[in-house]
Amino acid sequence: MIDNLYQWTDKRLNISGGSRKLLNKIFPDHWSFMLGEIALYSFVVLVATGIFLTLYFVPSQHEIVYHGPYLPLDGQRVSEAYASTIRLSFQVRAGLLMRQMHHWAANIFVGSIVVHMCRVFFTGGFRRPREFNWIIGVNLLILAIFNGFLGYSLPDDLVSGTGIRIAFSILESLPLVGSYLAVWLFGGNFPGTAIIPRFFIIHVLILPAIIAGLIGAHLFLLVKQKHTQFKGSGATEENVVGAPMYPNFIAKTQGFLFLVTAVTALLAAVVQINPIWQYGPYKPYKVSYAVQPDWYMGWLDGALRVMPSWEIVFPGHMIPNAFFPGILLPGLTFTILMLWPIIEARITKDDVEHHILEEPRNNPLRTAFGAAVLAFYFVLFGASATDVLANYLSVSLNTVLVTFRVLVIAVPLVVFPITYKICVELQHQHRPSKTKRHNIVVRSPEGGYSTIEVKPRPGDERTHLPPIPVDAMVLVGPRTAQAADGASPTNGTDGGRVRGIFKIPRTYR
Amino acid sequence: MGLRLLRKILVPFAAIVVAASMATLLMGRSHVASPTSTPSPSQFSLTAAGSASRKAQLQTGYQLFQVHCSFCHGTRADGSTGIAPNLQGLGPGVVQLWLRTGWMPLKTPGAQPDNKPPAFNDTQIREIALWVASLKKGGVPFPPKLHLNKANVAQGFSLFTLNCAPCHTITGAGDALADGYHAPPLKAVTRHEVYEAVRSGPQNMPQFGPKNITPAQLRDIIKYVVKYIKHPVSPGGISLGGVGPVAEGFVGLFIGVGGCLLAAYWVGDRTERGSEEDQGSGEGPAGEREASHA
Ligand code: HEC
Ligand code: HEC
Ligand code: HEM
Repeated sequence: MIDNLYQWTDKRLNISGGSRKLLNKIFPDHWSFMLGEIALYSFVVLVATGIFLTLYFVPSQHEIVYHGPYLPLDGQRVSEAYASTIRLSFQVRAGLLMRQMHHWAANIFVGSIVVHMCRVFFTGGFRRPREFNWIIGVNLLILAIFNGFLGYSLPDDLVSGTGIRIAFSILESLPLVGSYLAVWLFGGNFPGTAIIPRFFIIHVLILPAIIAGLIGAHLFLLVKQKHTQFKGSGATEENVVGAPMYPNFIAKTQGFLFLVTAVTALLAAVVQINPIWQYGPYKPYKVSYAVQPDWYMGWLDGALRVMPSWEIVFPGHMIPNAFFPGILLPGLTFTILMLWPIIEARITKDDVEHHILEEPRNNPLRTAFGAAVLAFYFVLFGASATDVLANYLSVSLNTVLVTFRVLVIAVPLVVFPITYKICVELQHQHRPSKTKRHNIVVRSPEGGYSTIEVKPRPGDERTHLPPIPVDAMVLVGPRTAQAADGASPTNGTDGGRVRGIFKIPRTYR
Repeated sequence: MGLRLLRKILVPFAAIVVAASMATLLMGRSHVASPTSTPSPSQFSLTAAGSASRKAQLQTGYQLFQVHCSFCHGTRADGSTGIAPNLQGLGPGVVQLWLRTGWMPLKTPGAQPDNKPPAFNDTQIREIALWVASLKKGGVPFPPKLHLNKANVAQGFSLFTLNCAPCHTITGAGDALADGYHAPPLKAVTRHEVYEAVRSGPQNMPQFGPKNITPAQLRDIIKYVVKYIKHPVSPGGISLGGVGPVAEGFVGLFIGVGGCLLAAYWVGDRTERGSEEDQGSGEGPAGEREASHA
């Protein structure tokens, strides 16, 4: 019966033809290929918990008098957005858990995108032909950060309200158009009453839709262009080695979805995040010291803090201080990040297709550069906690600020040569193979000991593949003679058919 | 293949079930647990100690001051040494605050005095304060009996946000101010310290007179501080010291992303063993399979 139904639909929709190809898609075995999936699944968690929140959240800045179980707010005038988030936290069943899951998942989402991007960067996975997917990825990062900021602003509490205010003044600092843009976006001057409803629509609808679309494009390109892979285990520029989509990868990835959800749920159950009832509602005339944005905006906040107060005056126009850290820095950051594959290809004059990943150590210049840049942003993130640090270390805030001004420049300069040196050192190191071969020690009647080499256990035979010749690795074009018959230059050396290894020719449609 | 596959799905699924049930357990705790603050008796035993007459109190106060304070503040507490300020006319409340917080006697002049365990017990502190107050009238008195039952915490919260959060932060975690000064955390202060601090304005802290903050408003603030700053309502779990998003960011990155990385590491390299079996059924490498159906 089910079979018939299946046949019927298949004849019309041709599911099996298309999906067979998809089901046989090969996924590399290395764990670092799962990083992007963390991002994917935390997005799933975000959407699921976000839908729950939407059921209770009231996106309005209309002021009401709060009455509820949290006494320090009872009778205070707060916005409906704030009151509904408080209700979510205290009265809605599982509401607080959902809020905390949503917020932790947001942190994990952006964090895993960054980690995933680091993997792609340091292994050269962005090189031709995958520049497009890199650019999509960078856009996903920007949108994720931006949507996180919007979500963080929604509850309309004291801390996030201060963040919106900073965003407003950054926007205002744009030369020429700034103040018009800010007033247009906020529907008047800060704070107004339009910003929370607007942010809400962008946060729950527009950006998630764009993000989902881009994720789709990202995965589509991934399937079309096939994965990159590390060398070894018979992998060459011409094939993809790994497990097929069905059943292995489906099982793996399904389990992984559960695991990512479990980590998020555990964190949300055990560690409190963004206790907005302790912060109180946002009132423009109230300020608290020590307000920071979430970490993924933290580097911008840090940049605002360490930036010396320069103001550049053009004839007739002044560029406010906030422009440099608030707009120029992220602008440059994301432009360079997006164009990086092209920039690097220009520098190295490498215009060949690459499907085998580089080990970071084998490209010490890029690795050192990436590490230095990461260090730069990490120091900026640290700088967003200048006041907290000054308080904990009992030193003057000014001392901490000056220290960070120095560190922001010094740390990358130190990290670069050290990373470079480590890479070069590592290149000379011999790496042990992964699976151990067992030895049998025998004792002779005379009392002497000797070991007997044994055959590898079944399944372990291919641990000692001869290294793939260098000339076969680099500079092979996509349509070489070897590719046509599906054989790689090293095919003979691993003894014909080997269990657990799949090879398919790369075809370019 | 079936069994392996099943296990692969079931183990993580078990993990999620465990996590979820832990979540319900932990979140199930009463939501707005109102922190009970029964005032400790010592806070109220500030009235004249036992049988000692006022004169004897002044006498011991005088002696303690001469031994511990006079070389800085002068024998008549008038700041005549030039090292330390004149204490006359500040009122007993100020002296009591500076001694109970351990700010005085000062070890290293110049820096902002640190919170230390007080060098004297409550009776001695009272005696010193009484003696200093006997030199000149006025200033901040000893705190009156502070009845907080009727005080309004909502009012207190609002006033705290407006007047105190700019320095002490909204969670009362304390913060660094400019020029090496810092506003101390308010997590462990007593109701009398809040009273004395607000009325006297130690160091960089502004002085709030009864015109700025009425006695009723001050009681509201005090109730909010000793109830909710001291015992923040944290139904969401570990509160990370109330320092906000930076601590949350570190936890999110190292435990959240880190946990997922461990999970990735755990499942990531596991395909091979599964694929051995799966290979048994399907003949030939998958590449051939894909080719034949393409
Ligand atoms: C090492 C010198 C030194 C000693 C000893 C010392 N003080 Fe002080 N005291 C100071 C200095 C300096 C200041 C000013 C602190 C500041 O404003 O940062 C001060 C400030 C004070 C104040 C606050 C004055 C104001 O204007 O608010 C009080 C009250 C006080 N001291 C009481 C005492 C008492 C009581 C003792 C003895 C137990 C004592 N001090 C011992 C140096 C000292
Ligand atoms: C301009 C910043 C500022 C403001 C505003 C401020 N404080 Fe303070 N506060 C300080 C500083 C600085 C100290 C530490 C003084 C010292 O160390 O001598 C302090 C000390 C205190 C202390 C004593 C802390 C201890 O360790 O015992 C209390 C209590 C206190 N403040 C309460 C308040 C309350 C309540 C308000 C609001 C009505 C307030 N403060 C507003 C700066 C401020
Ligand atoms: C790109 C993915 C997303 C990110 C990074 C993100 C991030 C955030 C953050 C950090 C908050 C603040 C939570 C807090 O109060 O502590 C938030 C709130 C919120 N989010 Fe999202 N979110 C995303 C997607 C979504 C989606 C898809 C929806 C709805 C379908 C949604 C609905 C909401 C709602 C209603 C709130 C306000 C309620 C509250 O603050 O608790 N979010 N979001």
